[in-house]
Amino acid sequence: MRVGRHAVLLAWTGVIVFPIFWMISTSFKDAGEWVAWPPHWLPHYPTLLNYAQIFAFGALDPTLSRQATEQAFTIWKGLGDAALVCTTASLLALLLGTFLAYAISRFRVGGKYFRHTILMIRMIPPIVVAISILIYYAIIIPYATTALLGVRISMFDTYVGLVLIYTVTTLPFVIWMMLTFIDEVPYTLEHAARLMGAGRIQVIRCIVLPLVASGMVVTFLFVFILNWAEFLLALTLTHPEVTTLTVLLNKFQSAAEGRLYGPQAAIGTVVTIPVVVLGLLIQKHLVKGFSFGTIRK
Amino acid sequence: MAGIALKNLVKSFGNYTAVSEISLDIRDGEFLIMVGPSGCGKTTTLNMISGLETPTSGEICIGGTVVNDLEPGERGLGMVFQDLALFPHMTVFENIAFGLRVRKVPAAEITRRVVAAAETMLIKPLLGKLPKQCSGGESQRVALARTIVTNPTVFLMDEPLSSLDAKLRVDMRTELKRLHEQLKATFIYVTHDQAEAMTMADRIVVMSKGRIEQLGTPLEIYNHPMTQFVAGFFGTPTMNFVEGVVEIGAAGARFCGAGLEQTLPASVCADLCGRNVVLGVRSEHVIIDGVAASAAGTARLLQPLGDATLVHFDTEAGKSLVAKVAPSTELAPGLPLKFRFVPEHCHLFDATNGRRHS
Repeated sequence: MRVGRHAVLLAWTGVIVFPIFWMISTSFKDAGEWVAWPPHWLPHYPTLLNYAQIFAFGALDPTLSRQATEQAFTIWKGLGDAALVCTTASLLALLLGTFLAYAISRFRVGGKYFRHTILMIRMIPPIVVAISILIYYAIIIPYATTALLGVRISMFDTYVGLVLIYTVTTLPFVIWMMLTFIDEVPYTLEHAARLMGAGRIQVIRCIVLPLVASGMVVTFLFVFILNWAEFLLALTLTHPEVTTLTVLLNKFQSAAEGRLYGPQAAIGTVVTIPVVVLGLLIQKHLVKGFSFGTIRK
Repeated sequence: MAGIALKNLVKSFGNYTAVSEISLDIRDGEFLIMVGPSGCGKTTTLNMISGLETPTSGEICIGGTVVNDLEPGERGLGMVFQDLALFPHMTVFENIAFGLRVRKVPAAEITRRVVAAAETMLIKPLLGKLPKQCSGGESQRVALARTIVTNPTVFLMDEPLSSLDAKLRVDMRTELKRLHEQLKATFIYVTHDQAEAMTMADRIVVMSKGRIEQLGTPLEIYNHPMTQFVAGFFGTPTMNFVEGVVEIGAAGARFCGAGLEQTLPASVCADLCGRNVVLGVRSEHVIIDGVAASAAGTARLLQPLGDATLVHFDTEAGKSLVAKVAPSTELAPGLPLKFRFVPEHCHLFDATNGRRHS
């Protein structure tokens, strides 16, 4: 029984780990090995060319330029944009979501089933959101602002536009997660503070927020990863100014070589690192966050 | 000075009425205990006094001022909660200092008052610890220190001893009584433990189903219960109840029911004749001896308490009763016995509404 369970778990670990292994392995392969058959599990001729290419500043040095790659696809712009958009959107969603969750938990805002309704919003296929928002961003808002204000304001391909949509789409997750943490904070702690003369905001600041801090860290990380990995909305609502990493990855193809798997794998490896590092750094909070129910009352 | 007056206080949650038109005058400096079973409305009443619940209707006056519209922090109250509600992320010092910080008391003054409160509650060595590092009794003292540090005129306590073990609970009762004597503040204490109510209260309010059943001193409540509910709620073991009718004969009033005939005190009114009543008698007023007027029964179970023994027995008609007898009793389960009630300590309650017939 135990052996069987371990075998299943090992097999499942293999399924999960294999793509990551393949990505890292490919990132060190030269162009000829990317799609070699039979597959080269490990690079036969390891190279750092893919990394040199994505980390290059400015135009590609002739030594880095492949025969078929005329264009420099450096990671810097995408990394900067993704970091800016994801951090801002995640913080904004965390701030709004925490206060909304507090209101739902303590004042039963929206009624008994509101928390489920919120999560249902996430079940709408992203493409439905993407297209309607695209119409707003690229057509309705510019048209309306030109007609009403005489100034053309477009949200399409702007940091503000992408931050807003990321904030809105991750808000249900933040509310849902923060609700579970806030629900765990006993009412009586707030009652005690209020009886001692603290106002609502003071109660939230001094009592509730410190107690759900680890939950907020967990939630932020979760939402950040969602935003970091988001592709469809970024692809639909931006071009060419704002470029997140996922959109950048999609651009790696050339007429002669097709998809440039090497640089793509290198970027994939590099973008996974912050998430892993972040996870390791806040491991303590993660454990605390997920075992919040055991708080001694 | 802070007497409290509740006037026609009502609290409803949708269709459910938790507190139904209660009026109560709590004297300044009094130790009043509200007691009743779970869901009787005692905590809701306390929460309305504290301002944590808004009354559906009625008035709450503290020190002669109507406080219905005041925030909890503006009412000059201190409260100890059932779960103590110590802030888990703050040290004991910070917990006690919280109320003073909120009121923007100068730092030096905060330290002085926190230390003074800690000394009063004998917890000075704990000031640097977190609540989770304190034992149950210590946490209790921290909660009390946190309450007294702001010098409230009224203390509200919502079953504060319920999480303690039996020994510590008894010790803390003495501690609370001492604190009351020392502070001379008004204490309103909620519990479902009748022993706590009896040992600490100046007066007891017995509540049931959102209403006040009786208000009186502990001895009044025990010796002169105004309803069958109060009679049954106070006293361990529970008072014996026997249903029957009152008959008036040449020898005076008698109770007849469940195969028993019991002489009643001369004070029983003649107009009770023929009425369905419930006779109540406490176990210590059931005498087991062999005198002529006794009824017969069979011992079923003996529970030695040390200073006395409880004898559970069945009457000939099959009614189960309890008697408290001297520990030296020679009774044993299955043996026949003779018993009688002490007439002066028999209580008569109306069979329909449970009210006392005096």
